[in-house]
Amino acid sequence: MLDFLQAVSDGVLFGATYALIGIGFTLVFGVMHKLNLAYAAASIGGAYCGLLILKLAAGAPALLVFLCAFLAGGILGYLVYLTCFHFIPLSNPLAALMATVGMLLLIDEIIVHGTQGMPQNYPALFDDVMLNAGGLTLRGDLLLVFVICVLCMAGLLALLYRSKLGLATRAVSQQPVAAQLCGIRVAKVNAMTFVITGLLGGIAGAMIGAAIGALSPVITAPVTVKGLVVTVIGGLGSIPGAIVAGLLVGGFENVFQLYRGVTERDLYVMLLLFVFLIFRPGGIFAGKGGGH
Amino acid sequence: MKTLALAVAAAFAATLSFPGSTLAQEKTIKIAGFAAKSGVVRSFGVNSEAAMLAAAEIINKQGGVRLADGSKAKMVVEFLDDRCSAEEGISIIRRIYGGDALVAVGPTCSNVAEPLFGILQKKVDDKGDSGLQMPVFTDVAIKGGLAKISEWAFRNVPSELTMYASLFQWLKTKHPNAQTVFGGVEEDFAHSRASWYAVMKDGAEKNGYKVLGNAKWLLNDSNFATQVREMKAANADIVAIAAHPFTTCGVLKEMQRQGVKPKVVVGLTSSSSLETLQGCAKQAEGIIIPTSLAPVNKEAKFAADQTAKFKGAADLHSMATWENMFILKQVIESEKVSGDKNQLQADRRKIRDGLAKLKTTDGLLGVTKRTDDREADKPYLFVHANKGEWKVLHDPL
Repeated sequence: MLDFLQAVSDGVLFGATYALIGIGFTLVFGVMHKLNLAYAAASIGGAYCGLLILKLAAGAPALLVFLCAFLAGGILGYLVYLTCFHFIPLSNPLAALMATVGMLLLIDEIIVHGTQGMPQNYPALFDDVMLNAGGLTLRGDLLLVFVICVLCMAGLLALLYRSKLGLATRAVSQQPVAAQLCGIRVAKVNAMTFVITGLLGGIAGAMIGAAIGALSPVITAPVTVKGLVVTVIGGLGSIPGAIVAGLLVGGFENVFQLYRGVTERDLYVMLLLFVFLIFRPGGIFAGKGGGH
Repeated sequence: MKTLALAVAAAFAATLSFPGSTLAQEKTIKIAGFAAKSGVVRSFGVNSEAAMLAAAEIINKQGGVRLADGSKAKMVVEFLDDRCSAEEGISIIRRIYGGDALVAVGPTCSNVAEPLFGILQKKVDDKGDSGLQMPVFTDVAIKGGLAKISEWAFRNVPSELTMYASLFQWLKTKHPNAQTVFGGVEEDFAHSRASWYAVMKDGAEKNGYKVLGNAKWLLNDSNFATQVREMKAANADIVAIAAHPFTTCGVLKEMQRQGVKPKVVVGLTSSSSLETLQGCAKQAEGIIIPTSLAPVNKEAKFAADQTAKFKGAADLHSMATWENMFILKQVIESEKVSGDKNQLQADRRKIRDGLAKLKTTDGLLGVTKRTDDREADKPYLFVHANKGEWKVLHDPL
């Protein structure tokens, strides 16, 4: 039983990073009804940019690295918006989708060329702290990652539901034409959505780097897949759904790994995805009609 | 205008016919290198290319290679990116075969080498086998026994079987109290799997260690908590990690967090590289790895310096590429390769036969023995991570 609880707690704590990635996917989908497949790659790209501060000032504190990753994530988010959405006809949904696939590969390859594919040491806070709670051990750094992720989610929800920008974003998400008639600049709101999700992605990338202790281009593909799984399970466009689904997938993944081994782990995660697609296609918090 | 054209034509003709002219003298021998230069194993390709170019430059500065007619030719390197993909590797070897390269050096990944060797002619002079008759001299792909696939395939990679058997034997004397071993393996990577199940585990058991089990993870995993808990529960004296630098670092960091402190940590040959130190120098401190290269002598240091000029790092893989170039020079000269483009296939055959004839070759750490199945029995050392560097711990030979 203790092993089970340990696996769940490890997974749920790590799942906070999946939740952040899932939120990025879901927010863009909610506002623009488009999938940004480059999101996880841009998030990891932001985390790599955070490391640049260590080149300029060796021994810079981890928080400064995270801050740089946060800002770089926002810039990358805006660049992704410009290249994959702003200048591409949105009337053709496949064009934007394929552009983001191209951007994913481009960012990945830029990282590979910039680092020669070598793993980069990533700073963390409290990585030497292990807390004991009733026989369970909890990683101090993962707890911090979890707290930062929760704060980011809270900040995002506050932005969406307590600010004019959030109101405009929700308006564009629900009725883009009506929003435009009310004087909301849809293109500006879309761009801001990418910047906000980019900022969130930068933090998510940095938290992933901090949780592993290293960054490598090998993680962009699995993080993209996990982010999409979380988005679907949580319900496309649902932020609370993405949060819960991220933690759920993290926990399930670790439990499956404990009982069925690493080679079967992803098989069960994908089966979970299909269970949701068949029995609850609108995601965890879907309303009666299947939507949110 | 007409006069000018005539003058240029006359000057060009004179240049061609003048015996001392550069154009008339410049013969070339093309060596095709191929490796992963994109994707997460890009550093292997970058280092191999740098080593190849550096070796070619040294050879050319010394006058080049002597051909059958006594003339000298410059070594020219053409380097291609196989992206560590079997399809790409096969496509590249076909392209090299269709071109004018005398021999191919590569690839990086064993999952490319295995199918690629499969499209070469299996037995020389087998008229019924339409496989490619192209000598391939592998420098990096290390999975055991691959050269057996074709008589056109040769390798200059260390034998992990020999190195790890020797390492566990040495550990028995160095740490007599250590009795048990626990493994960690990247389950979805052919080389890592082979290294744990067929090499490390076997080497440990043959030397009287009790193998308590192994934890598994995947090449792009990011959370190792469960696996390290298994490792902690086993409480083995020795932990052997058969994984590449990224996950090796992830596991070492998790071991540090969970306070897993075995007497000895053994790593995979390929992890004795800059990548591991870049990813987790602090956590890798003390890890022991057998390797066929360390810059311990003048020759190895020189090769490392020359490779660095082409922005490459010297490690056991790239220095095998360096060695291959000098071995090929020796074979070109001993087999009297013509260098004539019309005799290309005959020259390729001479290279194959020359490589097959070799009983020993000169390596950076000493003499390498060649085996009958076209593999190398290379000298090796045990290195350990020490203050952010790989330092020689023991020379078993």
